[in-house]
Amino acid sequence: MWNELLYAFEAVATLPNFIAMAAGIWGGVIIGAIPGMTGTMAVTLALPFTFYLPPVTSILLLVALYKGSTYGGSISAILIKTPGTASAACTVLDGYPLAQQGKGGKALNMALVSSCIGDFISNISLFFLAMPLAMFALRVGPPEYFMLMAFSLTIVASISGRSLVLGIISACLGLLLATVGEDIYGSFRFAVTEDMKSGLGVVPVLIGLFALPELIKMIVFRPEDNNAAMKLGDNRLTMAEFRGSVKSILRGSVIGVILGAIPGIGPSTAAFFSYSEARRTSKNGDKFGEGELEGVAASESANNGCCGATMIPLLALGVPGDVITGVMLGAFMIHGLTPGPLLFQNNIGEVYSLFIGILFSSVFLFVAGKLTAGAFAKISRIPQTLLLPCILVLCVFGIYSIGASPFDVSVLLVMGIVGFVMMILNIPAAPFLIAFILGPMFEDNMRRSLAISRGDLGVFFHSWISWAFFALTVLFIALTIRREWQKWREKSRNTAQSA
Amino acid sequence: MTPNRDFYTGLIATAFFAFVLFVLIPIYVKVPSFIPGFAPPPDMWPRVITVVGLVMGILAILFAIPKMRAAANDRVMSIGATMHRNRKLIVRFAGVLLGFATFTYAMPEIGFVPATILLLAYLFLMTGNYSRKIWMIGLTIVFPILLYLVFTEVTHTPFPEGHLFSALAADFVTLI
Repeated sequence: MWNELLYAFEAVATLPNFIAMAAGIWGGVIIGAIPGMTGTMAVTLALPFTFYLPPVTSILLLVALYKGSTYGGSISAILIKTPGTASAACTVLDGYPLAQQGKGGKALNMALVSSCIGDFISNISLFFLAMPLAMFALRVGPPEYFMLMAFSLTIVASISGRSLVLGIISACLGLLLATVGEDIYGSFRFAVTEDMKSGLGVVPVLIGLFALPELIKMIVFRPEDNNAAMKLGDNRLTMAEFRGSVKSILRGSVIGVILGAIPGIGPSTAAFFSYSEARRTSKNGDKFGEGELEGVAASESANNGCCGATMIPLLALGVPGDVITGVMLGAFMIHGLTPGPLLFQNNIGEVYSLFIGILFSSVFLFVAGKLTAGAFAKISRIPQTLLLPCILVLCVFGIYSIGASPFDVSVLLVMGIVGFVMMILNIPAAPFLIAFILGPMFEDNMRRSLAISRGDLGVFFHSWISWAFFALTVLFIALTIRREWQKWREKSRNTAQSA
Repeated sequence: MTPNRDFYTGLIATAFFAFVLFVLIPIYVKVPSFIPGFAPPPDMWPRVITVVGLVMGILAILFAIPKMRAAANDRVMSIGATMHRNRKLIVRFAGVLLGFATFTYAMPEIGFVPATILLLAYLFLMTGNYSRKIWMIGLTIVFPILLYLVFTEVTHTPFPEGHLFSALAADFVTLI
């Protein structure tokens, strides 16, 4: 193992990989710092470029973008009270009051330090947890995989939106779209035009669904630009201030790792959970919300603590925990790597290189944040009216360059419109995307299970692993229905009282 | 607005999945006469998905009805009134659709770069904010050309030159 790690270290410590990581971190921070641009957009926009890079460099670039954007979201959250990404929403609570008090630089520094610590702990957990989980997953056959994917989709569908029903509708749309083209036995499905016979490309669908709706939303609703940033002010973070927040940083990192490793939960929930725990246990709990550095530390350590952990189910089981890892799954597949237990048998060199590279990226994040925090503050003021149309043109060029296919460009534009309509109808996009990516594997495992069992549906309940995932799925649905019922009753009671 | 929106979402989802189940699958999913082993036919999975989607669409409608009833005391707008009130937004959305459709049609005709320049100009116009005119004009011209140069140099992508310009160029050469 140590020899392999040493080889991996040599493979990663190359100039192209360092350039990719540095570009990813800086690009991610820039995109994350711009309100309306998300980490998902950062990762999806970079996807076409990864076609021309070696597999490990590609994944390192995407991971660096993810980490950079997660930290970058805190910049606009602290300086202009607009979280660049959803996971930075919690950072606004204390970050912006600190900026108002002239301590914007201090808050940014605390966000950076806690992000890097959370990120590092998350990477270590990925290193130690992914492989044992993958070894366990080797005992899993097609029926168990089918149940696991059903479970993952249920979680994603119920958590990403405000309604389980709308989440499942979204997942069904994604699964249906994934059936377009040739199936495993050579039959064509929904091949309305000749181009559709080879199916819809993952990249145009992803980019269309996540990068374009923001532009269409801006054109249709025309919001006002109001991005006046606060000054950075007092910049130094003292040792006493850091020591006062260490507990919250470590707790937040662990919360991030645990919640990040569970498919569907992700950094936003982790940040709010960590913040509320810090507020509950801190001696300065009553000052939270008025500009408390510990609040920024709790939130940022948790959301960056998720970054490495979300890769655990992706690498070990081949199941993406959120949209960004869903995009990464697409990137792995583009390069002929199939995440899951077999990745640890067939491509162990790439896996170790990835682990080492991810550890490096934590250092890059720290250096990038330290060197350019002041400059990043200006980025959050780039007007969206200039930025978003240019992004669309960049997407069009990027998509066309992948396969020189005008059909892919059409798919991109149509998916942008579909994404916007889904946004208007409150249908969450995350289940759609994950279902679209998992769809072929989901169907393949179902059909192989039925073929093995000669059509007997009982094959899905033969092993305890299948039963465990089935029970978890039912439990999760029951809990979601209970939660929605309670919300509905509370709302009805409030309406009756106000009437 | 939300109860209305949930109702329409359910209605659209139900209609869409019903259309796929009863119209698209019978026409566009061909079942071969021979399937090896005991493998399920190719239409089985799309049917399972659409049935689940259909049931969820109906559930969305059923869940929205009590909410709409509760909201009826305050204000429930008909779809016509909603559309009338939001007509500006609908026109802008139609404008986006028109822009995308025109671009898709024009790209092979006038060439990739001119089409993207026109698309970018159109999108800047559609944003409705003209406070940075110089930037907009500059970006409209420079950005697509810059991307064209980067992509042709780095990835060697053959971007379409356009039938129109190719024909004009050929005529010009013949004329000379």
